[in-house]
Amino acid sequence: MKDPRITGRQKYVIDAAVEGMLHGRILRSVYPSARITSIDTSMVPEDVVVLTPQDVAGLHHYGCQIADQTVLPQDQVRFVGDPVLAVAAESVAAAEEALLMIDVEYEELPGVFDAVSATAPDAPLVHDRHKISENDAAYFGIRPVDGTNICHRFRLIQGDIEAGFAGADVIVEETFTTAGAAHVSMEPHAALASWDDGRLKMVTGNQTPFNLRGDLATIFGMKPEDIQVICPPMGGSFGAKTFVRIEGIAAALARKADRPVRIILDRAEEFQTLNRHPSTIRVKIGARSDGALLAKEVHCLADTGAYADCGPGVAQKMGFASPGPYRIPHVRVESNSVYTNLPPNGAYRGYGQMQSIWASERTMDLLAGKLGIDPLELRLKNLLREGDAYCTGEVMHDVAFEECLRDAAAAIGYEPGQPGLGVSVLMKGMQTPSFASIRVRAKPGGRYHIDCATVEMGQGSRKALATMAADLLGCAVGDIDIPAPDTDVSPPDTRTTSSRSTHMMGRALEVAVANLKDSDTGEGFGEIRENGGLDPDTGQGIASSHWHQGAAGARVSVDEETGAVTVEHVHAAVYAGRVVVRKQAELQNEGSMIMGYGTAMFESLDILDGAIGNPNLSDYNVPSIADLPKLTHSLIEREGGDVHGLGETALPPVPAAIGNALQSLGLTLRDLPMTPERVLAAVDEATDRTEDAA
Amino acid sequence: MSTAWHSPTTREEVLRLRAELGEDGTLVAGGTFLGVLMNNGILAPEAMISLAHVEGFERIARDGAELRIGAMVTHRRLEFDADIRALCPMIADTFAVVANPRVRNWATIGGVLADADYASDPPAAMIALDARVVLESASGRREVSVEDLIEDVYQTVIEEDEVLTEVIVPLDQSAARYRKFRTRSHEDRPCVSVAAVQASGGLRVAVGAVAGKPQIFHDICALAKGRAMDSGLAREIGTAYAERIDPITDARGSSAYRKRVIAVEVRRALEDLAA
Amino acid sequence: MKIAFELNGTPVEVETDPANMALSVLRGECGITSVRGTCGIGLCGTCTMIVDGKTTASCLMPVGALAGRRVETVDVLNEDDPVIDAFIEANAVQCGFCIPAMVLTVRKLLEDNPKPTDDEIDMALAGNICRCGCYAKIRDAVHLAAAKGNPA
Repeated sequence: MKDPRITGRQKYVIDAAVEGMLHGRILRSVYPSARITSIDTSMVPEDVVVLTPQDVAGLHHYGCQIADQTVLPQDQVRFVGDPVLAVAAESVAAAEEALLMIDVEYEELPGVFDAVSATAPDAPLVHDRHKISENDAAYFGIRPVDGTNICHRFRLIQGDIEAGFAGADVIVEETFTTAGAAHVSMEPHAALASWDDGRLKMVTGNQTPFNLRGDLATIFGMKPEDIQVICPPMGGSFGAKTFVRIEGIAAALARKADRPVRIILDRAEEFQTLNRHPSTIRVKIGARSDGALLAKEVHCLADTGAYADCGPGVAQKMGFASPGPYRIPHVRVESNSVYTNLPPNGAYRGYGQMQSIWASERTMDLLAGKLGIDPLELRLKNLLREGDAYCTGEVMHDVAFEECLRDAAAAIGYEPGQPGLGVSVLMKGMQTPSFASIRVRAKPGGRYHIDCATVEMGQGSRKALATMAADLLGCAVGDIDIPAPDTDVSPPDTRTTSSRSTHMMGRALEVAVANLKDSDTGEGFGEIRENGGLDPDTGQGIASSHWHQGAAGARVSVDEETGAVTVEHVHAAVYAGRVVVRKQAELQNEGSMIMGYGTAMFESLDILDGAIGNPNLSDYNVPSIADLPKLTHSLIEREGGDVHGLGETALPPVPAAIGNALQSLGLTLRDLPMTPERVLAAVDEATDRTEDAA
Repeated sequence: MSTAWHSPTTREEVLRLRAELGEDGTLVAGGTFLGVLMNNGILAPEAMISLAHVEGFERIARDGAELRIGAMVTHRRLEFDADIRALCPMIADTFAVVANPRVRNWATIGGVLADADYASDPPAAMIALDARVVLESASGRREVSVEDLIEDVYQTVIEEDEVLTEVIVPLDQSAARYRKFRTRSHEDRPCVSVAAVQASGGLRVAVGAVAGKPQIFHDICALAKGRAMDSGLAREIGTAYAERIDPITDARGSSAYRKRVIAVEVRRALEDLAA
Repeated sequence: MKIAFELNGTPVEVETDPANMALSVLRGECGITSVRGTCGIGLCGTCTMIVDGKTTASCLMPVGALAGRRVETVDVLNEDDPVIDAFIEANAVQCGFCIPAMVLTVRKLLEDNPKPTDDEIDMALAGNICRCGCYAKIRDAVHLAAAKGNPA
């Protein structure tokens, strides 16, 4: 049989069905902040099952990092789209009709719609208190600030920041913003829940089967072993399908209905389910006149929406990578995860890195301009190299920033002083601490069966694992079966995020195969554990057991009358260490760059009257094939290099490279996306500067 | 209750159904816009009258100095039709940039004008071409200019018992140009669109996607009377259009930004005409 | 009402409300899961079907409009179709959710234009969104398929 993804025979969760299944739909709040004063479901036909807040009042609070959610909100809704209740019926149409028969009354409350306002002293509080979750995903010291909307504050301190700035010849200080963005995975969120003799079976598109199982266990007060989570291949995710999304509602509905229930969201609901953090980032950087960096201070506000989700982790990662891959003696970072009355923001391909790299790498070019040093030269002068200590105190190994940066610059024909060209470089952490385990079984006929919890969402990890296994076992890739993750069977894994699977699971696989070869049971087990983590108050420790490294270059031209930008060429250089499946790796780079291009140029969630104002694919655009600039990329390998994950690395540096290319034309962009309107404003600003000077 | 589906094959049958059903009978041309409304719960018709099989609604014909285009002629046909390309290439250029091939395969000229969406490409082009539509009902027939047809977003002068059956385009233009300025994806609708036509009756410039309906100012166009188009005149008219229009703000650009772009794009369209 | 049409070469008759969209009928009554809905407004392309030889957004076409017409989905293609082989060879797939519709659209493109240029490919596929971003490899696949020629 030919590849079912191409012939159309591949089944996704939206195709999952069982006998007797009902179809669930969700009634959502139309107010961003309100108290529910009454719910009238008396007009709903009897054969429709209605799940009300009262039905789930006895269930427990959950949340992967802060336990701030209930299956349905009790009394208060916190964003437009917050689920109020859910129904299950024989057909989707019947469920939708039932929703129209339900009357909910609200009393509006004040709301707050951006992180800057939400951190003002008199801001309304989205949540009264912050209870840290007991989920495995709350793995680091989470520091809520009581009595505020800040659910986590991460700090990193090295050296003496005041002394650093005092010694600087040149200081640049600037504030940058990035817009919220939608993942727009082609397959929407979908989940099928069924109960059998007190056991819950959840078939869902989800990148975090074990974290999901843990949170469901918390919600229903069950043992994790009594919950089975199965994750078939997803039609894309990019971070959207992580932790509990619709699974709690599906499970509670199914329990009340005593029938299996499937929920599939529509596109508008997708925009209300999980998005990317908008950010406001202030950067202050000081250098000696010869270009040596002395001090850097970064302040991040990451808008995590109405529920924290993994926002604390995003803010932390945004913070600890914000100094960038440079030797800087004096560093101070404060990064805050902030509640607002917007839909939750969470994991999004790159997890906070794009935002801080946009701010930091744009600042580098502003500094270069002020110093009169070429931006590439300024970077090369300060880059971290093998054996250098990062500002967290960890010593860098397998370092390739310079190779990446030089490769990106060469690919776009970079020449100092030539207008229209820009570069950027990034370091990106991987989930740390982190754990992966895998089991390999020999089968008759030279075949092998592998159980592992790495999920497939198009990134090709399972293909990479099968390829590595075939290589280690001396068989054909076709002789290896890797069924979809099933928490009843698959050995535990932290989760399929942060480009960690090939690196972590790949090494666990090596252990398992060695174990298999040593044993006479026909079975091998392998696990890998990376320790580390940061002190959340000082940012000292091991931020990442393994750093993703990359750079980008861009060539642009501008229509100065309309601000329209033509991106002529983008190149990304990614340090792969060792490539496992080249074509898959190329797809990861290309896909990341295209997403980065959308982020750079036009993707933006507009907030209108406290709601997402453009929740459809006409008003929210994603890149099409006709949008592509010339895209090239390199996978940089090195003899003896580690296998590096590369599912996300080529996204974060793209907007900054394009912004820096515009900077080389004298246009200073501070806000993403770089719409023609903003570029035209930058043209005006440059014209004013020239006229002032004249 | 199931929706009633009517599939008339003659003009008379369509007009009779339209008279009988009134506002309960929704006309289906290409169905692409209708589908969007139905999927979003904005429209739930009791009865649908498909125009797909009506004899004569898909005709393109030259009639002396005019071109007659049946209401059911698709965007895709207008994009490729050899006669259209030869007689009035701006029509082909305009319909070629609407949405994607999948939509253009079914969307029709009658449908897009009757929908009167502010961000569609064809209305501004048809107004600049001084096109008219034929509105027929069981009790009569009238011709209305596209300029008068569209009153505001989704609002036209089409009566409940009328059907837009044909579009008539004069062929007296010596130069015509449609420019679509996008601010986001290639797949996006215009932030500002400009249709400029030099015809025997003079210059006609219509600006689309910036207000409830395409904007045309005859007094400003009259500045071109008796003058050869050059960059100075183009700039003068562009600036005058920008000053006169009070543009909307949407995800494609703010009002202030659109004003700037209108001045530039109108000027460029006129420069293109002169070239 | 009963609606009869030809689906992938076989006559079918469904009993449904004619205002239901073809997408839900194809996926439901007809069991065709290679057509998939994601946007509901004809923009993403994953629900593409071919009606009387023309690509169509099945999410926007009321099923009543299919009466008497010839409807095709990717399932009509032989697994040895050169377009399928070209997508495999070019590795033009990640999650695969959008790909069957791409394959169908490319099959149609090549029937109309056996040797398309990059620009022609882009214009033909501009309305098919691949969020994974396989576009470069999809272009490669179209050229590969063009080189292989149409199936006999």
